[in-house]
Amino acid sequence: MIEGVLKEGFITTTYDTVMNWAKTGSLWPATFGLACCAVEMMQSAAARYDISRFGAEVFRASPRQADLIIVAGTLCNKMAPAFRKVYDQIAEPRWVISMGSCANGGGYYHYSYSVVRGCDRIVPVDIYVPGCPPTAEALLYGIIQLQHKIRRTQTIART
Amino acid sequence: MTTYAVTPEATKASVETALGPLLKRSFVRLGELTIFVDAADYLQAAKILRDDPGCRFEQLMDLCGVDYSTYKDEPQVGLRFCVVCHLLSVSLNQRVRLKVFAPDDNFPVVQSLCDIWNSANWFEREAFDLFGIVFEGHADLRRILTDYGFIGHPFRKDFPVSGHVEMRYDAEQKRVVYQPVTIEPREITPRIIREENYGGVH
Repeated sequence: MIEGVLKEGFITTTYDTVMNWAKTGSLWPATFGLACCAVEMMQSAAARYDISRFGAEVFRASPRQADLIIVAGTLCNKMAPAFRKVYDQIAEPRWVISMGSCANGGGYYHYSYSVVRGCDRIVPVDIYVPGCPPTAEALLYGIIQLQHKIRRTQTIART
Repeated sequence: MTTYAVTPEATKASVETALGPLLKRSFVRLGELTIFVDAADYLQAAKILRDDPGCRFEQLMDLCGVDYSTYKDEPQVGLRFCVVCHLLSVSLNQRVRLKVFAPDDNFPVVQSLCDIWNSANWFEREAFDLFGIVFEGHADLRRILTDYGFIGHPFRKDFPVSGHVEMRYDAEQKRVVYQPVTIEPREITPRIIREENYGGVH
């Protein structure tokens, strides 16, 4: 392929391929650590596991600058409206990774009076990462799975 | 044997001297001193414990509520709600546990310690939030942990673990809403019952 570029100066491809290449290669996660999972999320961003190898290293403090939100920890009733507000502020296209048992389905706190039994009750979730907490590798695997999912997208519009 | 710079027995003697008739009951157990006062004398006793030269409990380390309604899985004996404070004297290197029972089970009220120890502020809000104990004289007695508009006091023994409501997003209203709880209560009877002296332990 590179020879073609050098010789002719251009290549042909589909619009979706280029768009999906751009989307998968630069995921911008919003900082949303809620509990112990957040420590593993920090580990995945630190030098040893280095999330930036997959093009997702810049954790943003503002949802307006992000297109991915990693729900890392227990989502409490008191936090849920704020979480939905943060999600609504993310521009499309946007994705959600639910990290750990508590975010997946309440986990240890499933029967609690103050915990949301899974963050998919509040927002649509793309990838669930199991574990309590999941290791940094598991989260990286989840991000790679999300990239596969994004690559399957056929149009720009979110379906 | 643990050694103490100041033995709990010595602390007990000095606390007894300082409080005099305000002290209703006291004992030393597991190397810790516990004292009881009446709700009417609570504020006065706390002030003495802070200022008396033999006590000098400058710091309030902890304050919490206790619900005795199902204590030891037996029918309730005596009053239901208790407020427990842990006091520390840095200058005299001694500690004490101060307990006071709220006189009315249906509307538990005790005096606020905020004017004596500032640290009581959030602890008392927590005890109010979780047990519904009202602290008279507290300047800002709001809930501190549970959701805004939460109904009930979750650490009371008659509050169900799963609560009465749960949360979900409502697509039509475009906001997060509460709905009645949908899950079944969990069976928490232990499936394995260990016999006494099981496996030669204890």
